[in-house]
Amino acid sequence: MGTVHARSLDPLPMTGPDFGVHGDDVEFVEVQPESKQEVLENKDVIVQRVHIDGLGRTKEDFLGYEIAELFTAKNLIDVMKKAHEAREKLLRLGIFRQVEVVIDTCQEEDALPNGLDVTFEVKEMRRLTGSYNTMVGNNEGSMVLGLKLPNLFGRAEKLTFQFSYGTKETSYGLSFFKPQPGYFERNFAINLYKVTGQFPWSSLRETDRGISTEINFPIWKTNHTLKWEGVWRELGCLARTASFAIREESGHSLKSSISHAMVIDTRNSTILPRQGFLLKVNQELAGYTGGDASFLKEDIEIQLNRRLFWDSVFSASLWGGLLIPIGEKPSCIADRFYLGGPTSVRGFSMYSIGPQSEGDYLGGEAYWAGGVHLYTPLPFRPGRGGFGDLFRTHFFLNAGNLCNLNYGEGPHAHLQKLAECIRWSYGAGIVLRLGNIARLELNYCIPMGVQSGDRICDGVQFGAGIRFL
Amino acid sequence: MSLAAEAFVSQIAAVEPWPENATLYQPLKDDQILLSDHASSLAVQAYLRMCTLPVQVACRANAEYMSPSGKVPFIHVGNQVVSELGPIVQFTKAKGHSLSDGLNEVQKAEMKAYMELVNSMLLTAELYILWCDENTAKQITVPRYSTPYPWPLNHILAYQKQWEVKRKMKAIGWAGKTIDQVYEDVSQCCQALSQRLGTQPYFFNKQPTELDALVFGHLFTILTTELTSDALAERVKNYSNLLSFCQRIEKNYFGDNDSSSIVGRISPFS
Repeated sequence: MGTVHARSLDPLPMTGPDFGVHGDDVEFVEVQPESKQEVLENKDVIVQRVHIDGLGRTKEDFLGYEIAELFTAKNLIDVMKKAHEAREKLLRLGIFRQVEVVIDTCQEEDALPNGLDVTFEVKEMRRLTGSYNTMVGNNEGSMVLGLKLPNLFGRAEKLTFQFSYGTKETSYGLSFFKPQPGYFERNFAINLYKVTGQFPWSSLRETDRGISTEINFPIWKTNHTLKWEGVWRELGCLARTASFAIREESGHSLKSSISHAMVIDTRNSTILPRQGFLLKVNQELAGYTGGDASFLKEDIEIQLNRRLFWDSVFSASLWGGLLIPIGEKPSCIADRFYLGGPTSVRGFSMYSIGPQSEGDYLGGEAYWAGGVHLYTPLPFRPGRGGFGDLFRTHFFLNAGNLCNLNYGEGPHAHLQKLAECIRWSYGAGIVLRLGNIARLELNYCIPMGVQSGDRICDGVQFGAGIRFL
Repeated sequence: MSLAAEAFVSQIAAVEPWPENATLYQPLKDDQILLSDHASSLAVQAYLRMCTLPVQVACRANAEYMSPSGKVPFIHVGNQVVSELGPIVQFTKAKGHSLSDGLNEVQKAEMKAYMELVNSMLLTAELYILWCDENTAKQITVPRYSTPYPWPLNHILAYQKQWEVKRKMKAIGWAGKTIDQVYEDVSQCCQALSQRLGTQPYFFNKQPTELDALVFGHLFTILTTELTSDALAERVKNYSNLLSFCQRIEKNYFGDNDSSSIVGRISPFS
């Protein structure tokens, strides 16, 4: 009897940044039938045994769900395909550093003539992994220390701790994650955190101490997240010169909110997609579970991508949001929306559109923003097939508006308010993809429809971020 | 703010006249303000009235956090924000309003010494009674301090504040004192003030100064505020010239011209 080795290439990258060209179509397993050996390709086979070698603290019952599919394979191609799928599933759990697959004929006594053994050779992650980074930004340097305990109890539970010690602020976060056995997408997470942010556009400093729990689950093609969050928020002025409107917002508040998010994402990549569609709907209801912040917040994001001629891509996106305070208390500055900057309406300074007081932006209770982009490869395509593919040139047209709504004027008046004084801008620039999580942009922007009080960035604007209009 | 910028701002402050809409911010007067904050707020109000500078009183639950120094009261004048009596006196001086210009250097030094005495004895004693006397803290201080906040923030913030005050008491050596010792300190302070005042209408004879405003703020608040026991007020009541001093300032500066007179302004803690 012959032996067929089906061993895939490199281990798949796990979540996280992956610099370089990301394989959109993963290369499939390699099969080398040797001479003298029987060709199994079209024969019916039975997977008799599946071994997982190299398990230490991982519970076997947990992995059973991930490899169960393998037993339904009917022929060799099927076995290899399913073994590959199972391998991907195992890697996705985030508990193995390496997974290799060996398919062999069954050697046991009760071996059937067409029986196969599949062996997964796995290497578990260390009990404790750590990382250390330094970050510079916003006139502040910080040191980020991360600790991760993957596979804490042997069923892919994960405990992560991140501590950031900065020249000005200290933040930390502790989170526990547990997936449902056999259904990794259905998972539960609980987070504890303290985050301090400085928002110079509002002369505001915010310290959040909070706890949140969330459940993620897919339904058909959509992903849902249900979340409860309790945050103690402390607001303060960033400087003595802060406007009085910001001073009035200072102090402590407690937000307890339930939120639901739904995402449909058919894009082939989150950064610089070539095709696909994204719909994100988020709704948050605060005040009914305690706390002194009461509001209903709706937020929506749509993005459409279409491939055109010569590798160019047309992309259109639309964002919108509405914050409705419940009760008599006006909305808090920390809950309101902000617009403008190199990641939203380009050509305007960061979050510098809309209501302001003495140069401090106060945010708005309703906003919309839309953008169309034409992405093309770099002119003359330098570095094609390699480094050059991380870059794109783009032409864009952005528009948006942000305002406060006086509830009681009726929906028609609200729509009219949002349609008045639209800020828009156009321009062109270069986009650099940083792995699959972020992108950098260098644009030449021409802002239009500027209203008094808006801060603009006429000309060259640099932007970095993970969410782009 | 850099020194140069600060100097520039005070230059501007000197040029701009006192606006009509100057506002004094303090915590909510019915359910939130504490004895010590009320005393400080009343002292600033008395001072501004003595200077005949109009000011509106606004009550905000987050006044403590709005204040640039974290202490109440503070005033918002034009686009300037100034907190506590000392800096406010400096600020009005820059605008050309001063009560102590007529004093000579010796008197000025004496005034400062007595103001320091009031702050280090009366104010500290008030804080001690409010936060370190278990009975008062439990029945009055903590419930009042935490009124604006929902559970569990009310407990956290009140505990945080209490811890802060206790730490301060430890630092100045008051942590080991008993409540009776604190009352004794108040008595001694009142005796010193009473002796200095003598039979004069104000501490420096005919004209009131910021010292008068400060003493009035504290004594009047102590006299009109109900605590778990009236031991504190009793100590002050032993000095009849201080009582008539309080009545005099109340009559002269908080009298008829304002419908919301001081008696309405002060709500006894219940």
